[in-house]
Amino acid sequence: MFGLDYSWLGDPVYQRWLVDGVWVTLQLALVSSLAAVAIGLVGALGQTLRLWWLDACIELFVEIFRNTPPLLQMLFFYFTLTQIGFTVTDPVTGLQHPLLSAFVSAAISLSLFGGALCIEAFRSGLDAVPKATLEAARSLGYTRLGLFRRVQAPIAARVCLPSLTNILTNLFKTTSQASVITVPELMYAAGQVYSDTFRTLEMMLMVLLVYVTLVSLLAWALTLAERLLAYPGYGKGF
Amino acid sequence: MTARNQSLIELDGIRKSFGGNEVLKGISLNVAKGEAVCIIGPSGSGKSTILRCINGLIPIDEGFVRVGKHRVHEIRHERGMRPLRRQVAMVFQQYNLFPHRTALENVMMAPVQVLKHDPGEVRERAIALMAKVRLAGKESSYPGELSGGQQQRVAIARALAMQPEIILFDEVTAALDPETVKDVLTTIRELVEEGMTCLLVTHEMRFAREVADRVCFTDHGLIVESAPPAALFDTPQDPRTREFLSQVL
Repeated sequence: MFGLDYSWLGDPVYQRWLVDGVWVTLQLALVSSLAAVAIGLVGALGQTLRLWWLDACIELFVEIFRNTPPLLQMLFFYFTLTQIGFTVTDPVTGLQHPLLSAFVSAAISLSLFGGALCIEAFRSGLDAVPKATLEAARSLGYTRLGLFRRVQAPIAARVCLPSLTNILTNLFKTTSQASVITVPELMYAAGQVYSDTFRTLEMMLMVLLVYVTLVSLLAWALTLAERLLAYPGYGKGF
Repeated sequence: MTARNQSLIELDGIRKSFGGNEVLKGISLNVAKGEAVCIIGPSGSGKSTILRCINGLIPIDEGFVRVGKHRVHEIRHERGMRPLRRQVAMVFQQYNLFPHRTALENVMMAPVQVLKHDPGEVRERAIALMAKVRLAGKESSYPGELSGGQQQRVAIARALAMQPEIILFDEVTAALDPETVKDVLTTIRELVEEGMTCLLVTHEMRFAREVADRVCFTDHGLIVESAPPAALFDTPQDPRTREFLSQVL
């Protein structure tokens, strides 16, 4: 059809490359998403303590990792750290290896990048809870921690779910940049295949389809969560 | 002795500034147990701030605040405020219900989570309170599904569930339409008649005249005049009170 040739898909070698690629992509996305959310929670909670030095540290972290390309961060963790001496020597062969593997470098940089975005999203969620609502909780005898747990966090979580969906879907797609530092994820596997077969268009169409499917599933799950948590009068609630 | 007189609430010479703006310039006020006191006055005269000093939501700069046996101005930590907050409930202009919880849960939350009362017992109490504020059947509605007047009555039930000795009402009908105002005022009137100590900031002059034992007129951070409603409304002594009343009555 349309002169597209998918006969190479029958080759078990290519099949294995691609399936392994999808698996690595999923692992990278899962690890960095979880770490990003964890960083976001710690950072946003840290900011509620209102300590000027902690605020300054968190702000610097956000500025650095939100405002630099994730690709640059991956290259930094993988190559630059090695160049300035972060290496391990294999005791058997005596060869020098980078301290961080390609996968770990990619996971770290995606976690930090996503984490910086999550801090901002969670902070905006906490800020969106009306001061008057918190005042009402205080007047009922809630302490700061109780108020956070019972009132502020549950409301804030609902407010920032849509931005979290944006961040996590974007993070999932950004895993493809890890191919540049030779992480054998989907994009890398695809490159391997088409440099063998020269069927670039076919390969790209297929990769596109895989990403659309996976990212749509993720977005759908998060939107479902949004709907389930919604309460009447706000957002998706009626 | 922590108390300097017999009243339940004792304010003496309270001063409070926000930035360079002095909002309270020496407020003194005593409220006896079972008394209903209305505070009236122009916007920005410090009425709401007085209420927030009583339950410690706003720390004062200078002066003396006592509620029952608690010297509010001497409590430094939010945790220390707990016994006070249990004794003094507050109802707000914008209701301030918790939007992610149903009406019944709003009423039950603090007694269970803060006072650690038995959930089963609190549930019964909350259902009875919902009936008392004429909202039986609305227990599982969310605040977003209720009208303003209904939300305000849930807020009153939420305050009552703490079994307070005092309720502070901060312009609780200001955001409501005239028809629902009546329902809320009826509920408050019943509380006053049952002997609940109430301190009300209000713009409802007729209501103040009807339910209050005493009315205080505030202007520019001071209580200008304080008298039983008939005296204050019919024969105001201070020219500022006369001017304000001539504009609102």
